[in-house]
Amino acid sequence: MNFEFSPDEQAFAHEVRAFLVTHRPETFAVDGMDAGYGSGAHSRPFLRALADQGWLTMTWPRSFGGQARSLMYTLVLFEELAAAAAPFGPLAGCNQTAEGIIQYGSEALRREVLPRIGRGEATFWQGFSEPEAGSDLLSLKTEAARRGDEYVIRGHKIWSSHAGIADYGLVLARTNPAARRSQGLSMFVVDNATAGLDIRPIRSLTGEVYHYEVFLDEVRVPAEFLLGKEGEGFTQLLRGLDTDRFWGRFYKAPMLRRILSELVRYANATHRGGVPLARDPGIRRRLATLATEVEAVRLLFYRVAWMIREGMPTPYETALVKVMADETGQAVAALGMEMLGLYGPLTQDSRWAKLNGLIQHVYQTSLGQTIAGGTSEILRSTVATRGLGLPAEARA
Amino acid sequence: MDFHLSEGQQLLVSTARDFLQRHCPPTVMAESVASERGFSAALWKEISVLGWPSLLIPVEYGGSGGTMVDVILLLEEMGRACFPSPYVPSAVVATSLLAGAAGPARRERLLPAMASGERICVLAITEESASIDEAALGLMGEPGSRLDGRKLFVNDAHVADDLIVVTRGASGANLLLLDARQPGLAVLPMEAMAGDRPCEVVFAGVEVGDDDLLGEAGRAWDYIGPALRAGALARAAEMVGCAQRILELCVDHARGRRQFGRPLGSFQAVQHACADLLRDVETARYLVYAAAWKMEQGREHEADVAMAKAYAGRTSQAVARRAHQLLGAISFCEEHSLHLYHKRILAAGLDFGDSSHHLETVASSMGLV
Repeated sequence: MNFEFSPDEQAFAHEVRAFLVTHRPETFAVDGMDAGYGSGAHSRPFLRALADQGWLTMTWPRSFGGQARSLMYTLVLFEELAAAAAPFGPLAGCNQTAEGIIQYGSEALRREVLPRIGRGEATFWQGFSEPEAGSDLLSLKTEAARRGDEYVIRGHKIWSSHAGIADYGLVLARTNPAARRSQGLSMFVVDNATAGLDIRPIRSLTGEVYHYEVFLDEVRVPAEFLLGKEGEGFTQLLRGLDTDRFWGRFYKAPMLRRILSELVRYANATHRGGVPLARDPGIRRRLATLATEVEAVRLLFYRVAWMIREGMPTPYETALVKVMADETGQAVAALGMEMLGLYGPLTQDSRWAKLNGLIQHVYQTSLGQTIAGGTSEILRSTVATRGLGLPAEARA
Repeated sequence: MDFHLSEGQQLLVSTARDFLQRHCPPTVMAESVASERGFSAALWKEISVLGWPSLLIPVEYGGSGGTMVDVILLLEEMGRACFPSPYVPSAVVATSLLAGAAGPARRERLLPAMASGERICVLAITEESASIDEAALGLMGEPGSRLDGRKLFVNDAHVADDLIVVTRGASGANLLLLDARQPGLAVLPMEAMAGDRPCEVVFAGVEVGDDDLLGEAGRAWDYIGPALRAGALARAAEMVGCAQRILELCVDHARGRRQFGRPLGSFQAVQHACADLLRDVETARYLVYAAAWKMEQGREHEADVAMAKAYAGRTSQAVARRAHQLLGAISFCEEHSLHLYHKRILAAGLDFGDSSHHLETVASSMGLV
């Protein structure tokens, strides 16, 4: 048993911290919304700065120009960046796409996309959900048909994060309409510049744009941009979703720690009836309870990371920790709103805002997180069936 | 980062699970709990042969030189079987105290006998305030004086050979090591609903000898702090084990019982409840492991233990309550073992600091003024 990073990994954490001193996160221009997951806003300059350090390729195999470092280094990197509130929104998507392309991509795909990822010049969106295919994703209707050296894709995707400001989409489409639900699906890498793509923003409840809907009208994709083989889309999807639930949520714990420490600072400095808010036994107890839950989330994420590193299957573990991370985040945001009282709803644009409007932003964005990447309902069923062996629910 | 158990730890766990399954099935467990003593003296002897009470005792005093991680892994298995015994009060808390505060002669006299399970020693700290805080200490007592007063909620004092009594003295809190059969000392059961065996210990002019002081006068809390943390973590591990077994009972029931022509476990309401039980058990387990590891490594661990104890207490109780709902009417019967697990969890959650006690430790560690 050992619950610490190795000395080398800790040395890397120091390296990242030193980088953040010379590259102060708040000095980087932001070009896309912070969705409140802990990875901050979308910032191309910051992504390029990370790439300049070699951190976007550090876990790649040496034959692909990487340093073959273990995934623990990515954990360390994410943890330090999230603790510093850095804008590294697209990073997890870059890592996952690179991993998929290294593992399954054609030579042409590797040649075109990997160097751009390594330089921090390519970001990605996921084209999975459709208007009529949400939790029931396998009912998706987008189709791709092979024509010569190309696939022609027609369909309609939605809830694709940052699609309008990214470079490529990962589009899941049906290549064999006759096959069963999970069969006959394929995953394509689609360049945003391709003709026939119509990417429209969806304004979120915060007033900013995070999601897009994407209309694909006779979009022509080179056959080499099929990820893996035809019909392997479901496997790609599961791999993608599982890693997405892990990497897309791992930084939640350090982010929530940061928010809790902001709330501690606020409670110490704020007086109610002449007494610091921090002396309120109810507030103390609830902050302590949430700090404990955040610690539990952190340990569960570490455990999943360790399992992945050891090559162990994780049939339910990511689903379980994803649900807990998102629900804990909502609870932290709700307590923050309560502690701030009338100041809670004030945004960072208000000169009266407390904690720079952080809490209302976390509160609003957290509402979408128990829906995105698998709803808590779907994931609890995953835990029950794959983790506990309960029989699958009868479906129509 | 390594979540593996060592080979030795795996062996300890599998031996313990196997032993308890064979020797302490639910019927034996229920009989032991209902007996006058509250546990089986025969099984206590057998686990002593297996070396369990000697884990925290140094090798030179007949112990096996185990670590806190070993202890919590073992307690998880004891919890899984709802195994009743004075293990935590004697083999964890009193043992830790003696190892920290007793001089060589006392160690020589007590520790080998405790390692072999022949002597049971418990700590008497709580009074009517039901608090383990130093400020709540009322009983006055010095070496070379007489004790008059009482301690409450002293688990397993009815079977103890030795009592470590915390008293208020001229220079601060003292630890007094007393023979439990000394004249003037009476142990009365407090009649709880099962779970633990709390006792009232009455002192009526009990003579305290000059050499009954344990450790330095006035410094009791230096020794008590680590022992209480070990006790709190041990009980957290026990709760995790109890909750793990309850989860298994619920899952077996959800798989096997059919209503409306389908297994209960195919209904989403039941599935999601079971998923939450798994979440509660796993999260509590790793908080306990991480705290034990830090304790074993000699790292700062006060807040970690407090988190583990408060969290395991809350979630295990939630697991137990939800399990009554999942298992249905049968779980209301005395014959079904769920209520014994539930009562053990309730008692363990209160022992060595309840959740508000530990959450306050966490709150202070977060920097709240």
